[in-house]
Amino acid sequence: MKKALLATSTHGNLGRDALDRINIRALSDVSIDIVNGDRVGLVGLNGAGKTTLLKVLAGVFEPTEGRLVASGSVSSLLDTQVGLNADATGHENIILRGMYMGIHPREMRERAFEVAAFTELGHYLDMPVRTYSAGMMIRLAFAISTCIPPDILIMDEWLTAGDAQFLEKAQRRIEDFVRGSSILVLASHSTELVERWCNRGILLHHGRIMSVGPIKEVIAAYRRLIDPSAQDAAPQMAAVG
Amino acid sequence: MYLETVSGETSRILELPAPPSRAAVAATDLLDGVRKSWLWTTLAQQDVKLRYRGSILGPFWQTLTTAVMIGGMGLIYAELFHTELQNYLPMLTVGLIFWMFIAGMITEGCGTFIGVQGIIQQVRLPFSLHAYRLVYRNLLILAHNFVIVPVVLLIFPHPIQWIRLIELVPALILVTITGIWVSVLLGMISARFRDVPPIVASIVQVAFFMTPVMWPIQALGPNAWWAQLNPLFAAVDVLRGPLLGQPTARYSWTILATITVFGCAAAFAFFARFRSRIAFWV
Repeated sequence: MKKALLATSTHGNLGRDALDRINIRALSDVSIDIVNGDRVGLVGLNGAGKTTLLKVLAGVFEPTEGRLVASGSVSSLLDTQVGLNADATGHENIILRGMYMGIHPREMRERAFEVAAFTELGHYLDMPVRTYSAGMMIRLAFAISTCIPPDILIMDEWLTAGDAQFLEKAQRRIEDFVRGSSILVLASHSTELVERWCNRGILLHHGRIMSVGPIKEVIAAYRRLIDPSAQDAAPQMAAVG
Repeated sequence: MYLETVSGETSRILELPAPPSRAAVAATDLLDGVRKSWLWTTLAQQDVKLRYRGSILGPFWQTLTTAVMIGGMGLIYAELFHTELQNYLPMLTVGLIFWMFIAGMITEGCGTFIGVQGIIQQVRLPFSLHAYRLVYRNLLILAHNFVIVPVVLLIFPHPIQWIRLIELVPALILVTITGIWVSVLLGMISARFRDVPPIVASIVQVAFFMTPVMWPIQALGPNAWWAQLNPLFAAVDVLRGPLLGQPTARYSWTILATITVFGCAAAFAFFARFRSRIAFWV
């Protein structure tokens, strides 16, 4: 009974197996093709499987069924904190995080100046990063992760915590990449951001693709999902006489 | 194999090679890890530096701790075992330093993947890289501790056949390879079963008293050959022998070589089968 209840309430994604262990099926039947120049926006409710899908695309999780075929270098911005040493300075962390991206320290040192300039953090780069605010971390992480244009850029929702000025700058940089035929996959709750930056969209719901296609269609589908009663027509008022 | 994909209104057919076998992926992972040596050596050096950040002696703090331990133990146990300090202290020093290297890799090896959970779940890197980093870090600490050995050997000189020092090379290589396979195997098992690390730590602690490091193997008398079968003793012995001018026990090299070969095979098989699950286990 408990098993049946568990399975039904989570749309079959959570269940107990014969050994009474909880299994989670985060994604099912996700088949997509993303090509050069695509800027894909991934939308969905919390727990829909967006971050899981991004991790699969980044090569962190290997699919238990099916295959991921990716050609090109992948740069993933799933977390601002990765590879950062909280007690080291911003400058030191530029080298460090670059290493996790596969960039040799020698090569990173040549780019360190541009990266520092992009962050606009100035003298804060001489301070240990544990003193940074969330927004400053984002600037640092983004600058480092995009200093070498990747073929495939994968970003999770934290980007939206940046301020408007930074977001504009980030958008321009990303547009530069994608014009050079890169791929962007971005997960976000901000439909404005996704609409501005992306040309295609995927709507995930309970681990399944609910809608895929041009971004406007997908966002409309997402809005319908959030609020099924909302009308797209202009609001009307009835006068009571 | 052919795959038809749909992207908006267009569809295309991709010709894909058959997916590589698990063993091939595992082997590629091991090689990719080696190729990224600049990454794991730098990280290991940073690990060692960070441990002692803020202290004056830095990593030689480890050396001092070891020296104090050897001094204390040496004085007391030489009395207990009725041996001359002259003979006992060099044996204890060299044995203990190599024991700390080996036991360190085994105990820390449980945390190979658990310790870098953040990285594993964010960035795609060869898993073997984490094992190489751990082993290299322990090699660095061994190097720091090793400073004590020439000091002790100068104070209590022993006749050494200098030519035998060459034995240290294969000995260190075999022990290092053992460290790698142990890190991978124990690291994976510990990631899945979280009670393994404390169990291993307890076993290693007990093993220290059961292995002839602190006590001379001769103290067992006619039953000494039992202790010779202990693989941990074999590992310490091949490293210790040349430096003490003592012959290596009869089975030590065989045991060590066998452990290395079978261990690598077992670890590789386990790695190939479950490598893709590590990211889910941590």
